[in-house]
Amino acid sequence: MTRQEIDALMARLGLNVPEKERDDLAAASKYAEDMARRVGKPRPAGAEPLNTPAFPSTAVGG
Amino acid sequence: MVPDYLTVAEAAKLIATKALSPVELTRSRLDRIEQLDGRLHSFIRVLADEAQAAARVAESEIVAGGYRGALHGIPIGLKDIYETAGIPTTGHSKVMQDHVPATDAFSVKKLKSAGAVVMGKLATHEFALGGPSFDLPWPPARNPWDTTRFTGGSSSGTGAAVPAGLVLGGTGSDTGGSIRGPSAYCGLAGIKPTYGLISRAGILPLAFSLDHAGPMCWTVEDCAIMLQAMAGHDPADPASADLPIPDYRKALTGDVKGLRIGLIRHFYTTDHEANAATRDAIDAAAGKFAEMGAEVSEITLSPLAEWAACGVLIMMTEAYAIHEANLRSRFTDFGENFRDRMALAGLFTASDYVQATRRRRELVDELDRAMARLDLVMTSAAPTEAPKIDAVGKFTLMEKPSMTMPFNVTGTPAMSVCCGYTEAGLPLSFQIVGNRFHDATVLRAADAYERAMPWRRRRPSL
Repeated sequence: MTRQEIDALMARLGLNVPEKERDDLAAASKYAEDMARRVGKPRPAGAEPLNTPAFPSTAVGG
Repeated sequence: MVPDYLTVAEAAKLIATKALSPVELTRSRLDRIEQLDGRLHSFIRVLADEAQAAARVAESEIVAGGYRGALHGIPIGLKDIYETAGIPTTGHSKVMQDHVPATDAFSVKKLKSAGAVVMGKLATHEFALGGPSFDLPWPPARNPWDTTRFTGGSSSGTGAAVPAGLVLGGTGSDTGGSIRGPSAYCGLAGIKPTYGLISRAGILPLAFSLDHAGPMCWTVEDCAIMLQAMAGHDPADPASADLPIPDYRKALTGDVKGLRIGLIRHFYTTDHEANAATRDAIDAAAGKFAEMGAEVSEITLSPLAEWAACGVLIMMTEAYAIHEANLRSRFTDFGENFRDRMALAGLFTASDYVQATRRRRELVDELDRAMARLDLVMTSAAPTEAPKIDAVGKFTLMEKPSMTMPFNVTGTPAMSVCCGYTEAGLPLSFQIVGNRFHDATVLRAADAYERAMPWRRRRPSL
């Protein structure tokens, strides 16, 4: 992300980030982008997240 | 004269036979805190009066024949995210420095019920994430092996206080390695138990789906003693498991014959290259397990960066949601490390979070498949010995993949165990990991290794 993009994002989030720290965020944004890219690899539409509830067998009569 | 260093098990034996008074033991630890903590900064708040009162109660109960067990009369410390009734619980942050809870955390109640004497509240990274920081109301804890070094975090105060003999055990929390990291850098034993084994209720959250509470002690046996007291079902924690709790200390048989251990070498030789001392120490520990009769084989999992991306993304977005209101209204009341790490979390989208939870299922399934034919896996807990405290960057967590985060993603029990020292005398460590709710197997293997090696004989020179 560019410094200008960081400024716009912080404004949208409502975070009052001190001026001197904004360049640090712009420089570090590549790490966040890399992580998002890694987890966002294509997968089947039916690939479920982990937070899907698993009900105990007694709850479904099993 | 009370020795400078005692383990929980050693002190318990003396207390049970009335050879050691809990009051004398507590007084000796308070003196030691007074003498040493000006250099270590492991305590945010020392509860001298409360501790002495609790020690007197313990002593009178024991004299009257009411000995409760191995924690009765034992001085411990609590990471300052564990809520304590009537005593500030700050998260080491200006933002919560006036927060005084009405009740104890569930695990604190259990520790007190076992007779433990709470000596005070221990330093942490701000809200278990932002550290080491020099712009908070309290200074960061220092590594007792070399006070110019980092303790690791976020359970930094516990990491410093236990090896220094200021307390005999302490609590930590672990969302991405906050028990195992300081345990590795400060040379103690620390277990992140299975997710759901210890209640999170009353512990300031960092990330709901990754947070684990656990003990940090000098020995594995001491961790087993503390885990026994802390574990148990709590309806107030939606993730709390309602399962019988085994006798963890009884599981410490010293025998690892036939245990199948998978060694994940690529985590520390390729994915995040550890230094030679660390690599050699872990390889030697694996060799020791084989020598003791375990079946050790090398296994390969997805690259460490995949696990770290999944865990860090979930951790940061959940933490952002928790602190969002304060971040908007009082951003600069947080320390720079915490607030900027949180600001970076603002880059993640809702879709990124969901994708991370989908990735999490894949990774959990992957480890479960690998462990279907194994009892344990082992790998590194940290890539090097403790670095200099001023060499830890604001975004270190994101620059290099964490070696501990994979097992927060999976919720499996994982423990740091000391496996030697560098030439400069700094501790080295490995990590040993079990199947979910097989915490006793982790403790058993770690204890057997620890007893076979000389590493517990050395303490910091203070």
